[in-house]
Amino acid sequence: MANNFTRLGSANLYENALRNLNTRQGGLAGLQENLSSGKRVLRPSDDPTAAAQAERALTRITRIQTEQRALEVQRNTLALSESTLADANALLQNFRDLAVAAGNGANSPRERETLASQMVAIREQIFALANRKDTNGMPLFSGLGSTVSPFENSLDGVAPDPDYAFNGLPGQFSATETSVPFTMDGRATWMDVVETNGVFKVALAPQPVVPPATASQVYSDIGQVVNSAALTGSDYRIEFTETTAPGASVRTFTYDVLDTTNGTTVLTGRPYQAGQAIQFDGLSLTVKGQPNNGDALVITPNNPNPATRPSVFGVLDRAIAGMYNPGTTTGASSSSANFNHELAISLAQIDTSLEQLQRSRSAAGDLLNRADRISDNQELRSIQLEDDRSKAEDLDMIKGLSDFQNQQTGYEAALKSYAQIQKLSLFNFIG
Amino acid sequence: MSGLLNVGARALLANQVALQTAGNNIANVNTPGYSRQAVQLQTTPGQFTGGGFIGKGVDVVTIVRLHSEFLTRQAALAGSVQASDTVRAEKLRQLEDVFLGGTSGLGASINDMMNAFSDVANAPTDLTARTVVLTRADETAARFRSYAARLDELQLSVRTQLDEAAASINSLATRIAAVNDQIAAVQGRGQPPNDLLDHRDQLVRELNTYVQTTSVPADDGSLGIFIGGSQPLVLGTTAAQVSVDSVTTPPGSGDLALFFNRLGAPPVQFSEGALGGGQVAGLLSFHNDDLSEAGNMLGRMALAISTTVNAQHRLGVDLDNQPGGDFFTPITLPSTVTPAGTIAMTVNDATRLSASDYEIRYTATGVDVVRLSDNRVSSFAALPADVDGLTFDLTAGAPVPGDRFVVRPFSQAAAALQTALSSPRDLAMANPIQAQLSLSNTGGLAVNSLQATPDNFALPPAGGLQLTFANGPAPYGVTYTITPAPTTPPTQDPALPAGTYEYKPGATIAIDGWQISLKGIPNPGDSITVAPADPAFTARNGGNANALLGLRDVAMFDGAAMTDGYAGLMSQVGTRMQGAEFAAEVSTTIAANLERDRSGVSGVNLDEEAAKLIQYQQAYQASAKMIQIAQSIFDTLIQGLT
Repeated sequence: MANNFTRLGSANLYENALRNLNTRQGGLAGLQENLSSGKRVLRPSDDPTAAAQAERALTRITRIQTEQRALEVQRNTLALSESTLADANALLQNFRDLAVAAGNGANSPRERETLASQMVAIREQIFALANRKDTNGMPLFSGLGSTVSPFENSLDGVAPDPDYAFNGLPGQFSATETSVPFTMDGRATWMDVVETNGVFKVALAPQPVVPPATASQVYSDIGQVVNSAALTGSDYRIEFTETTAPGASVRTFTYDVLDTTNGTTVLTGRPYQAGQAIQFDGLSLTVKGQPNNGDALVITPNNPNPATRPSVFGVLDRAIAGMYNPGTTTGASSSSANFNHELAISLAQIDTSLEQLQRSRSAAGDLLNRADRISDNQELRSIQLEDDRSKAEDLDMIKGLSDFQNQQTGYEAALKSYAQIQKLSLFNFIG
Repeated sequence: MSGLLNVGARALLANQVALQTAGNNIANVNTPGYSRQAVQLQTTPGQFTGGGFIGKGVDVVTIVRLHSEFLTRQAALAGSVQASDTVRAEKLRQLEDVFLGGTSGLGASINDMMNAFSDVANAPTDLTARTVVLTRADETAARFRSYAARLDELQLSVRTQLDEAAASINSLATRIAAVNDQIAAVQGRGQPPNDLLDHRDQLVRELNTYVQTTSVPADDGSLGIFIGGSQPLVLGTTAAQVSVDSVTTPPGSGDLALFFNRLGAPPVQFSEGALGGGQVAGLLSFHNDDLSEAGNMLGRMALAISTTVNAQHRLGVDLDNQPGGDFFTPITLPSTVTPAGTIAMTVNDATRLSASDYEIRYTATGVDVVRLSDNRVSSFAALPADVDGLTFDLTAGAPVPGDRFVVRPFSQAAAALQTALSSPRDLAMANPIQAQLSLSNTGGLAVNSLQATPDNFALPPAGGLQLTFANGPAPYGVTYTITPAPTTPPTQDPALPAGTYEYKPGATIAIDGWQISLKGIPNPGDSITVAPADPAFTARNGGNANALLGLRDVAMFDGAAMTDGYAGLMSQVGTRMQGAEFAAEVSTTIAANLERDRSGVSGVNLDEEAAKLIQYQQAYQASAKMIQIAQSIFDTLIQGLT
């Protein structure tokens, strides 16, 4: 800005030159700091908005890291639940195989006792699986909350014994945007098996106190609903009457169906043939085996209260109990009506239990898939945030280097010109 | 002949003085405040003869001090503004160093603490995860305290610097008065006391770097120095005193001001605005605005975080089935105690706090509560009054209209932050309530979240509150009813019958201070029961840990989430720093330009002096030659006589 009408003070001239050099050097040092740290924003004042952006991005990134860590724990726990259900499935399958083997008429009652003890061992294992815990000691099947071991097995002297309880809160937590639940609904998985066919159950009427000469062999399958519109919800009794003349080699029977709730007769005097379905009021059941005169089957609708439904363990217990003669510890004969009836019911209920476990297993699998998707999503977000942070505060190296070169050249020029000009003085030429 | 000798001798003398003056200029080239001097020469009046006036040579009239009153004053003023801006920028840089971001900053520490609850939510019985929460909380509290301590140190150093500046102002004022005295003494001699004037100008310049002054010259050559536009710091040969102390009106603000003390008069208080420039103004501005704002923001963060975390933690249930206690030691807000009355404060909503001091003004019609950061006035008939999440109350005294108090709710909060828990078992991570789906549910209802909130929380009755779902009237999909009816039901849609609410999957249902969010579509008749938590289940419940995690997103710092509070604080300090830096750069450039202009008039240029040396040396040699010639013509005359 010097022009030909301004004077310049020598001291001020030096001061100004020095200050300019200082400024240049400061700028160069700043750029060097930027380059060596790789950051454009070293202090908030360099660019307050960018600094805040970078800080917020960093917050989000650490948050995602935390959520991912939690998700990893949840995923491991879910995977454990899933494999636990797979184990239970396999065990239940084994149990079913044993039950089927017990039904084979070639096996003696003694062999049924052996099979029963194997079945008990399997039931114990399945029960242990239901109470399994994750690495942090949290039960896998605690629903919305439970005690340490949610499933309890008690002998309280009240039938059915042993009975099973779920000490927890039924229900399932849902997955959120960033997490999946790490517990499965234990009640729905283990404690809620559809009883027989889900609508009614068939029982054998009690035998006379004095056992007949030939034991009754009549039994039924679990039955099914063929026309739900015709269902009445009444209790029924199917009574068998022998129509054979004394001494005949082939015994023949007829049956009557009574509606015991309304005291009416539904069917009467129908000839009985083993293996044929008996149908009335929308129900159908297949009755097998030879009855005695006066034998009866009792049909009652299922209790609508879901709390009374059997547990998986109860189903197994019933199957095991069916291996013995009622009230004894001796194995049942393959022709025993009770044995065949119970076996039919148990096999059906074991199948339902298998389906039930399978359903929970696929729910766990769904959640695991969900966890994978969340994880992928979070990683993408994390990359995006890292990019945001970098854009906000990192140095564009190419621009940084080129600025540095510019500044360096400028500083060199300033130093050189200063060194040359400060040498000039009139005193140099005064002889 | 004797005339020639006389002329030669005078010229010799005059040139010698000129050479000496040039030499003096060269000698003082680097002396601060020195104004270059020049010899003013004048022809000696000629002798009248018949042949006209015969020149009798040259005389030195005076030594002129080359300077511009205007430029000198301008440069001093610009220097004053520069000193103010520079010292504020320097201090702000130190402040900014406290509030750095990144993984080692306070923000990261707060986030780490909040994120630590995530591990507990996943493994509520894991004592290690619980201990990590305690450690992180301790660390965060310690960092808050260390930040507060660094602000205190800064404040202390500013205070010291201000006291030193006041002492310098007093010393400079005394010295200016002394120089005034000397100048007045030599004033009568008819020649300007150049060096004393330079000295005084330099003292005034130095004084202006501390506090901006205006000066008025007096007839006796002394200079009157005024600060704050009107108060005479130096008048003739007497100097007044200044000091730095806490502001007296209104009391309680903790602000500092410069006080002007003159014997026999009450002290006059100058705030930074009235001072104009100088280090004192810069330091006061930093102390009263920048530092106090940073302290308030830090304090608000400590207060808001500790209050909200405490409130949520107290709702929870710990590992031993006890209700939760305080997570942080509750922070009590400082009261302002004055003879006129005592003003106390409590927090009623930690999410609405505003980082500011408040002034309570008693008026003829009631009480005004003024938020000092933006001077927003809220008027009330009487205290207690709620403003910005704080309740102000008068606990003692009977103020009269005209009484004013400044209260500083956040000044001590950060320094007081401490964790209150010592055992990881005391962490109340379990929900006080539990949800249970009905066994007969057939729909796909699942629980998304369940948590207690500090907002009028009431435990459900022992049997629980049951939400039963039904198909709603068109256009509503699914509705629900609550039995028994809660005290604080969810928001009622007026189009639905009383006690029937619309169900939206994933939406939060707020009842009696707790919140539940459900997912999936229920079938009619499905229900869910919320009841007090069963003590048998609480150890494995991490519901309150999830609720604490949820606090991360609660808007509490002027709308910013808890985890983003620090970014706001950091960028606020950064913005102030940026502004101060810019101001300092501008005023430095202006000051440098004006200084260059001043030195363009007053500064010594060596080349110029070298030229003058040659100029006067030649004149001196010529004068000497004159004497030689006079001698030679005298010799010629004498020889001719013999």
